[in-house]
Amino acid sequence: MAITGNPSATRQPEADRGPVSSVVIVGGGTAGWMTAAALSHRLAGLPVSITLIESEEIGTVGVGEATVPHIRFFNARLGIDEADFMRKTSATFKLGIEFRNWGRKGDSYIHPFGAFGEEIDGVAFHHHWARFHRAGGRDPIEAFSVPVLAARQDRFAHPAEDPDAVLSTYSYAYQFDAGRYAAYLRAYAEARGVRRIEGRIIDVMQDGHGGAIEGVRLDNGAQIAGELFVDCSGFRGLLIEQALGTGYTDWSHWLPCNRAVAVPCQRAGELSPYTRATALDAGWAWRIPLQHRTGNGHVYCSSHISDDDAAAALLAQLDGPAQAEPRFLRFLTGKRNRQWNRNVVAIGLSAGFLEPLESTSIHLIQLGIGHLLDLWPARDFDPLLAREYNRLMDLEYERVRDFLILHYHATERDDTPFWNYVRTMAVPDSLAQRIAAFRERGIVVNYRDGMFLDASWIAVYMGQGVVPQAGDPRGQAVGDASLFLRLAEMRDEYARLAATLPRQASFIERIGANAH
Amino acid sequence: MPIERVAIIGGGLCGWLAASMLARKVPDVQIIVLSAQGEERGLGIANGGEVLLPQDIETVAATGWRGGDLLKHCSASFVLGTAMSGWRGDGMPAFVPFGEIGAPLGPVPFHQLVAVARARGHAVNIANYALGALCAQSGRFAPPRGDDASVLATLAFGLTVDTGRLRDLLRADARRQGVTEAGMWTGGADREGTTITALHTAAGDGVDTDLIVDASGADSPLAGAFEGWAQWFPFDRAITALRPARSVPPLYTDLAALADGWQAFVPLAGGVAETVVSGSAQGPDVQSFRTGRQRRAWEGNLVRIGAAAAQHDPCAGLQLHLALADAARLVALFPANRDCRAEALEYDRQWRETSDCAFDYTALRLARNGAAGPVWDALRATDLPERTQYRHDLYAGTGRVVLHDGEVFETPGWVAQFEATGILPQRADALANALPTQAITAHLGKVREAMLAGLGRLPPHATLLAEMHA
Repeated sequence: MAITGNPSATRQPEADRGPVSSVVIVGGGTAGWMTAAALSHRLAGLPVSITLIESEEIGTVGVGEATVPHIRFFNARLGIDEADFMRKTSATFKLGIEFRNWGRKGDSYIHPFGAFGEEIDGVAFHHHWARFHRAGGRDPIEAFSVPVLAARQDRFAHPAEDPDAVLSTYSYAYQFDAGRYAAYLRAYAEARGVRRIEGRIIDVMQDGHGGAIEGVRLDNGAQIAGELFVDCSGFRGLLIEQALGTGYTDWSHWLPCNRAVAVPCQRAGELSPYTRATALDAGWAWRIPLQHRTGNGHVYCSSHISDDDAAAALLAQLDGPAQAEPRFLRFLTGKRNRQWNRNVVAIGLSAGFLEPLESTSIHLIQLGIGHLLDLWPARDFDPLLAREYNRLMDLEYERVRDFLILHYHATERDDTPFWNYVRTMAVPDSLAQRIAAFRERGIVVNYRDGMFLDASWIAVYMGQGVVPQAGDPRGQAVGDASLFLRLAEMRDEYARLAATLPRQASFIERIGANAH
Repeated sequence: MPIERVAIIGGGLCGWLAASMLARKVPDVQIIVLSAQGEERGLGIANGGEVLLPQDIETVAATGWRGGDLLKHCSASFVLGTAMSGWRGDGMPAFVPFGEIGAPLGPVPFHQLVAVARARGHAVNIANYALGALCAQSGRFAPPRGDDASVLATLAFGLTVDTGRLRDLLRADARRQGVTEAGMWTGGADREGTTITALHTAAGDGVDTDLIVDASGADSPLAGAFEGWAQWFPFDRAITALRPARSVPPLYTDLAALADGWQAFVPLAGGVAETVVSGSAQGPDVQSFRTGRQRRAWEGNLVRIGAAAAQHDPCAGLQLHLALADAARLVALFPANRDCRAEALEYDRQWRETSDCAFDYTALRLARNGAAGPVWDALRATDLPERTQYRHDLYAGTGRVVLHDGEVFETPGWVAQFEATGILPQRADALANALPTQAITAHLGKVREAMLAGLGRLPPHATLLAEMHA
């Protein structure tokens, strides 16, 4: 299209103002099929074709097996039935994440999906607990969390509906087989008109002067044209990076782990309603219990440990026999400079990589899809929409990044060079200020956007030894004796309530969610 | 060492607001109020009437101040928004309601539906779809009950208050809570390094203090590095008056653009507070003021609140809201001990966010409207800070509202202001645009019907006022 005269004076042809009529999603896997499913639902009845190209020979990463509670809104919006979804993805419930050996070797704490304790006289609970702790009180903060107590006993039930009930004060997520989730959403999306094309992309056609993607060519010679491309091709960023050269911001000086090795193993023991992240010498290992197997992986930094040693460290701590050969992955923590560039929106690992320490991968996919739908482009791709999308996603990535760095940095560990590095490294100013505010006065810095709320920050601070040296002076209105009494009552009540919940395995059975 | 003594500079509304709130919420501190030159300008320009926004009513309740007392003793009246005239290029008046506007159709926001309907030739006045605007027009209102799930829950109300009476009420309250007064501050202080240890008083006895709250306005002798806003807020003269009025007060404030400034009316029970702000007024009653803000609100052991921290052009009616937000933030971050660097950093972060958002809202009202005259032409030609301009561009281009951490207004408040200043999206959401016209008009009709049905269930405002002030 030739541009003549002053572009702002030329009237846009009406056709360019309509919504895009063809979307091509490059790559299946969790990101691709979540995008396809959400788009097929939201765009139902509109003249938009949705095509997904994936190649069985490439395969998917599929490590994102643990989630955060927001996934329930994603499923609910799509009208997905919980029991059906759990059966087909072999899912378990998740009340939080257990962190072992992070603050110090031998430590264990759970970051739960729910707040600790209750406000007293309008002052947040953590101030009271910190004062109780400074005055010699012994109950750990997890004694004041129903989801942590339940998780420790492998218990689970849906939260109560009565908002005044203590049993309504937690939330939950799932742990599932990401490969099966992708297949589940594939069936959903295909039933709603998404066209799946099997094939490997060997060439990308770009608009001569704008650089926008016009189409892709497959190994079988087929050409697929489209107006909007969603790049779900994984780390390599086939469109966003390899074709458009968008650039990447490297955060590995803060998050130095750059490899992972994954292996599933046989289940053993009770079915835990939580994920476990165990800090090792040069990284950490995940354990994600599913109904049919347990997912395991070791995220590590290659300059501190060899691949063989990393695999050996992982295999040494499996619950049961390994079910496959260990698979190795490489990555670089950071994010794409612009996740929406021209007519390409990168969703999933092509948009950035933040290690799965807090199960954020699927949530970031979900956010990307939500913002894309809120800012859905017309055919002329108003650059303002991309700018706003990138502003919103940058904020999310940076805030998740800070939360992850906190886990490494708030530690006393000095037993390996890796821990010495992360303990002493300079962290982003945004995080340094947050940590100081909590340590000095129990202030939890919170934001409008940012997926982790006060309770999550408090859990990690307290769990890793960042305990406020002073509290909110308003909390002093409660006398010491009265505070100890209130806390003892609270603790006993929470313990009693947690014990009333059934074991997770029997709850799954009861709601008909067990996979066969 | 904990904070034992707090000195508040400024015996105006801003100072007593802080005194009463701190006395009620922070135990074991001794609070002393010193009067100061210009203290009646603690909120900004001295005004007979100010507005508490809907979210402020929650702060009032959380502080333990009784809403009934405000109504009884402060000539308070309910307000549901602002009627704006002269701000659009087409001369049409507009209403900026508190609370919701319309209702979304599935995932599509209401204002996007409106943009599509208009592009297809349907005239839509958003005021017809906001219950607050309908109530204001027809003079019917009762505060919604907390548990109301009907259309009445879309209504949000603020309160107007007589500032002099509110000051007296809070002063009496603070004194009951043990706050004392130490007379006039001379402007002098004793310091140890950057810490102020005592304030000098006219009576000669210094007041020893651990923490100083400066509520004495923009011209305080304790002012520090300052960032001026005159290029965006050029008006620097105000004339205010409080007049009696016998009629039932309207349910809205009134804001008119003039050739060289603006004029506001704030209704009160039994009166009306009038303000004219311009760049040219002369005479003995004229207050001159300077807009801008301090680089830091909290420095060392000095916390500046209200206009001592930031003074915006008051056309958005936020003077009382911002001072109240400052006081509430100070309570929430009250220092655990005398080394209060952590509190100061976080206070300043939040304060700057809120102040930025209030600035953006005010600057877009003043400098991106359709008002007629050379003064306004010049303002429209002024470059805004990038972040402010981006809010305008994103809305004008795509109908999307940018929201930051410290917003005073959510999406409906921004949409209503853009409408009232004549900034309409050039493009609607592409997905809203895919909806058939019939689906949109049917939805608009349904919303309007529900709003009117809700309106019919409300009593005349006059009935309510008679009961409340009885």
